[in-house]
Amino acid sequence: MLVLLLALALGVTLGLLTNISVPADMLTYLGVSVLAAIDACLGGVKASLEHTFDDKVFVSGFLTNTLMAAFIVFVGDRIGVRELYLAAVVAFGLRVFDNLGTVRQLLFARWGWE
Amino acid sequence: MMGQLKPHRTLIQLRDESWKRLVESEKAMERSFQEGRLLVTLAAGLLLVGFLLVAQWRGNASLSTDVARQSDQSLGMIIQQLTAENAGLRSEVLRLQTRILDAEREGIDRSEVLNEAAKELNSLRIMAGLESGMGTGITIVIDDPERVLLPQDFVALVHELRAGGAEAIAVNGRRVSATSGFSGSDGRVVLDGAELSRSYKVVALGDPHGLEQSLTLPGGLVSTLSTFPGVGIEIQQGEGLRVAEAQTPVFNHGQPVEE
Repeated sequence: MLVLLLALALGVTLGLLTNISVPADMLTYLGVSVLAAIDACLGGVKASLEHTFDDKVFVSGFLTNTLMAAFIVFVGDRIGVRELYLAAVVAFGLRVFDNLGTVRQLLFARWGWE
Repeated sequence: MMGQLKPHRTLIQLRDESWKRLVESEKAMERSFQEGRLLVTLAAGLLLVGFLLVAQWRGNASLSTDVARQSDQSLGMIIQQLTAENAGLRSEVLRLQTRILDAEREGIDRSEVLNEAAKELNSLRIMAGLESGMGTGITIVIDDPERVLLPQDFVALVHELRAGGAEAIAVNGRRVSATSGFSGSDGRVVLDGAELSRSYKVVALGDPHGLEQSLTLPGGLVSTLSTFPGVGIEIQQGEGLRVAEAQTPVFNHGQPVEE
């Protein structure tokens, strides 16, 4: 678990060091993608706690979810339903909280805090 | 018989036991290997998430400070505000102009009218070249050792100066008036019958900055003339410049029409 937190911190540090900034046109796309990536990572943590983790599932889920999220925003933009990204935001947001709840319970069970 | 069987059975047990332990250790190895892969992939995913989060954060921060990236609604509101402000200022200007006109009408008396007329006459005389003029303006020194400049170039120069707001123009000390003309051939430039020397000096009265700008615009006259071989042009803004008066025009064939 510590390794994972360290990886997250390392990612943030890398981002800060490389001074990267997303162009304004891409903000919505990447925003929803980031949400999807967070969801995938939480899903991975949950699966690892349930001992059902499969790296193939994780990697493919990570990639397809982030790409699909960006694609949904793109499609919404093209067909004039700009609010379509809200659908992705709601879906991923719900899943993030769902996964978070499960992870919390699993961690409690593991540490014997029930 | 039994003595022989017993050790055999023990051997079988031992073999089975070590086989079991081997399988278990392999399973453990497999598990730790799985665990490692799990950690690596999850860590990679989280690293990416952290990186993207920062990038997104930065992009959003720059977005909110950039006026050009405001949303359509807020841009519309800005435009609306500016339009209202603009209309208000316009009516304010109009109101003040009316007041100025009123005040002028009230304040004008006979002597002022005469004064104004005299002033106007004076400026008209300067404009017409009947009076020598003095004031701010620019001096243009044109060096043309190879005699490539044509009379047309001077016509263009005078036009450009007049368009730039010149009130009086003189070339090599000769006033350019309403009846002046440039002519000449074979590298000679003649102004009103007098040949101009090769180093030309043009003096123009007017707003120095505006005059210089009208000549030095990108693609303007100075940049065009400077491309001719040997031609060097130098412009100087100045005060107290003098422009001589022109010869009094003589009308032989035309006369004013009395209405």
